[in-house]
Parts: sequence; C-alpha cells; structure tokens
Amino acid sequence: MKTFREEGREVPAVRDVSFEIRDKEFVAIVGPSGCGKSTILNMIGGLVAPTSGRIEIDGRAVTGVPPNVGYVFQKDTVFPWRTVARNIALGLEYRGVTGTEQERRVREGIRLVGLEGFEEAYPATLSGGMRQRVALMRTLVVDPEILLMDEPFGALDTHTKLNLHAELLALWEAKHQTVVFVTHDLSEAITLADRIVVMTRRPGRVKMLYDVALPRPRDVIKLRESEEYAREYGQIWHVLGEEFAGARL
Amino acid sequence: MKERGAILVWRLLILLTLLGSWQWLTGIKAISRTPGFYWIDPFFVSRPSEILKRFVYLASDEVRLTIWQMALSTIQSTLWGFVVGVSSGFAAGLLLGRNDRLARILEPYIIAFNSLPRIALVPLITMIFGFGLLAKIVLAWTIVFFIVFFNTFQGVRSVDADLVHAARFLGASEQQILRTVVVPSALAWTFASLTPSISFALIGVVVGEFLGGESGGGLGYLIIQSLGTLNAADMMVALLSLGAIGVVLALGIKQVEIRLLRWRPEYRNRA
Ligand SMILES: Nc1ncnc2c1ncn2[C@@H]1O[C@H](COP(=O)(O)OP(=O)(O)O)[C@@H](O)[C@H]1O
Ligand SMILES: [Mg+2]
Repeated sequence: MKTFREEGREVPAVRDVSFEIRDKEFVAIVGPSGCGKSTILNMIGGLVAPTSGRIEIDGRAVTGVPPNVGYVFQKDTVFPWRTVARNIALGLEYRGVTGTEQERRVREGIRLVGLEGFEEAYPATLSGGMRQRVALMRTLVVDPEILLMDEPFGALDTHTKLNLHAELLALWEAKHQTVVFVTHDLSEAITLADRIVVMTRRPGRVKMLYDVALPRPRDVIKLRESEEYAREYGQIWHVLGEEFAGARL
Repeated sequence: MKERGAILVWRLLILLTLLGSWQWLTGIKAISRTPGFYWIDPFFVSRPSEILKRFVYLASDEVRLTIWQMALSTIQSTLWGFVVGVSSGFAAGLLLGRNDRLARILEPYIIAFNSLPRIALVPLITMIFGFGLLAKIVLAWTIVFFIVFFNTFQGVRSVDADLVHAARFLGASEQQILRTVVVPSALAWTFASLTPSISFALIGVVVGEFLGGESGGGLGYLIIQSLGTLNAADMMVALLSLGAIGVVLALGIKQVEIRLLRWRPEYRNRA
C-alpha cells in the first residue's frame, strides 16, 4: 500500500498490491495511466518507501537503491553533456572499471544496440529511439540481475518500438535478467512478457495475473499476426478493457 | 556570406559617419569667428584627431606611465577578480546548493550583503587593502562572487532529480553524483553568468582605480587624472581603450563557453 499526501489529504496510489516475481522472469505490469505502475516500480527500486507493507528482493527488504538493479526511466535520462560512448561507460566508470576493459565493454554495448558510428555524438543530435537505445545499453552494460523498465518505449513511433522490442528480446535471451516492464500498451506486454500483472484503475490493485502462453524465442513481427497472439490479446483485453473504459483520461 | 559582407559594410559606414561628423561638428563654430560657441564643444568631447594624437603620445615612452601599462594593470586586475570571483562563487554555489540547511541559515546574510551597493565599499576596501592591485581585485571579487554564486546555486537546485536517480542506479556514490551530474548541469547556469561577470569585474576594477591613485595605475586612474586637468582627449583615450578591453574580454569568455557547452544544441554549430 502506498499513499501520497496531496493538498493535505492522504491519497492512495496503489492498494493491496501483492505478487511475486520469479528469478529470470519477464513480467509486465499493465494498467491505465495513473493507476500506480511507476509507483510500484519506484518501490521495488527503493526510490519511494511503501506506506505499509514491504518489498523484498531475494528475501531481503528493500531500503534504498539496491545493488544489481538497473532502471530504465520513462523520462529520457541520457546525460546530455556526455557523448553516446561516455554515457554507456557511466556505470563502468562508477564501478571503477577503466582502461581497455571499459573500452571493450562500451564498444561491445554500442555494437549490440547498433549505434556504431555514433560513439562521439551528443544525445541532442540523436533520435528518440537512439536515445532509448543508449539508456537501455547504459543500464545493461553493468550486467544487472534485475531490470526495471518504466514505459521505456512509450514516446516512440510504432516502427521504432517494434525494432526495440526485437532488440530487447534478443538481449534478454542472452542474459535472462529478471525484468519488470511497465507499460500501458497491452500488445507490448504480450509481445515481451512471460507473465502480465493487470492493474485496476486508480487506486491500483492487482486485477489479474496472466501467464502468456507464447513460445520463445519470439519474432515480434510474426507474433502479431499469429492466432495465439490474438487469443491472448482478446482474453486480457476482456478484463483490462473495463478498466480503461472506466478510467478518466 | 554576402549578407555578412553587407552587414560589415554597414557597420563600417556607421563608424566612419560617426567619426566624421564628430570631427567635423567639433570643428565648426555656431557663430562664425566667435570664440567658445561651437556646435559641439571639443572642450567636452574632444575630437578624433586630437584623441589619436594623445593616444600616440600616451603610448610613447615620453610619459612616465604609458597607456599600455595602464591597460595591462586594468586587464590584470579584472582577470584576477574574475577568476577568484568565479571560482569562489562556483564553490559556494555548489556547497549551499547541495546543503539545504546551510543555505536556509545563511540566506538573510547573503541577501543583505548582496543588497549593499558595492561602490559604497570602495573606501573601506581601500582602507583595508591599500591603493594597489589588491584593492581593485577584492572589489571586482565582491561583485563577481555573487553573480556566479546565485547562478550556480540556482543551477544546482534545478538539477534534474531523474538524472540523479539514473546515476544512483548505475552505482554512483554521492561524490560521483556531484562530479558527473550536479557539476555538469550546474555549469550551464554558471556559464550564463560569465559574460555579465567579466563586465562587472571591469566595472569594479575601474571604480577601484578612481580612488586608487597612481600606485594602483590603470585606466580608471587616467580618467580621474583627466578630470583633474580637464583633458577631454585623455579621457576619451581611456574610455575607448576600456571599451575595446571590455569587448575583447567578453568575446574571449564567449569562446570558452561555446567550447565547453558544445553538447548543447544551440552551441553545436558554432563550435
Ligand atoms: N510524488 C507524488 N506525490 C503525489 N501523488 C503522486 C506522486 N507520484 C504519483 N502520485 C499519484 O499516484 C498515482 C499513481 O501514479 P503513477 O505511479 O505515476 O501512475 P502510472 O505510472 O501508472 O501512470 C497517480 O494518481 C499520481 O497522481
Ligand atoms: Mg508512470
């Protein structure tokens, strides 16, 4: 349970949210906007403390930013005064990984997200999709065990989004981090996740936990045309649709 | 390119017109052959030809204190005041920007001291630091410090919290956050204060020189001396030199700014 104080009143943001995330699992949280998805992610990441209840990672209560957790924010948080390469090097720099080892891992990261040739570019010269690639790789380059993502592709056009889905899945297949991916886009959740947490509208509660029965590895384009995808979509939308319909936008 | 050439031509034309009419209007009498009745009296504003003559004289080694020595003294004090003011203002801005409690405690003192007209301090500073270079530097410093301090403080306060969070998740310590997030984002604000700072440093120094006497040297001294001897030509030499120095210093600062802020889109094409 989390309440925020608003004009002197305690306003509940999320209530009775309880679920477990398994190791190496890709979980998506979907729900209408304002239902507390970011709040949940921030609690897992230790940025805000729950008003009541607790968050545990591997049996240890979260107090403050835990180690081994990466966070890709909804907002663009690429450092504008650093080049692409220097942004991706940040986490390594903080951890004291320097010299050729740092260089090697940065170069590898840049290759993995297809940003070769843009190493020395400043973020202001990049497209939104490229900036999110930098943000993603900056987080992954230090090998977090848990990856929190808050609508990371929310501001991108459909085509760029699909490309990034494919890249994210490929990267995830290689390392199998535990991922918590927040989105209000149901098709995105189905494409990526093993399991979907469906939230009610504000104050958010867990409405349904849904196992996505789609085989891996997934092809993001073919997947969308498949019958199984349509079936999963239909079933979740049946439940989620009520919440979106009732949400005041 | 053609546009730039045209602008340059226009600028030159204006300059020549100004100098020409200055020279001409101070040369003709309002009532012919009546002494003292000029359209514009050269006694007060001198004439370009006269100013040039005085400049050549002041630049020669016939004088005890050449215009070069005076200009150098002024530039030196300005740069020192600027450097000391910027670095201390920046450090203080960082410190108070990061320390809420200290900022709240010191706020009334900072506002009080900053509201004090700095010129009122000149006699006191002269009393303490004497008539030399030091007094001028201190005066420039008291002005520059606050300009840079307030800007940096504001810059630190407006650091994007999300960038700090991002750094924290990437494993940054408090000290690393300061170095890689707070300082770079505050710098953009600090830089915005540098061009006014150099101008105000120059003002501080010249005011200091008004009172500093010959040992302090400088162009401000030349101005006061010209006032004493009612010598408009010398005064114009000093004013024009100050103008030139001001422009050169401001342009220099701008170049540094463009280089260091080249990550910003508005500077990108100029680096
Ligand atoms: N810092 C805060 N102070 C007050 N209210 C907040 C704060 N953060 C979020 N809220 C409120 O909590 C609710 C959930 O917000 P959020 O977690 O951002 O939703 P979502 O990410 O699902 O759109 C919203 O109604 C929002 O207005
Ligand atoms: Mg959100």
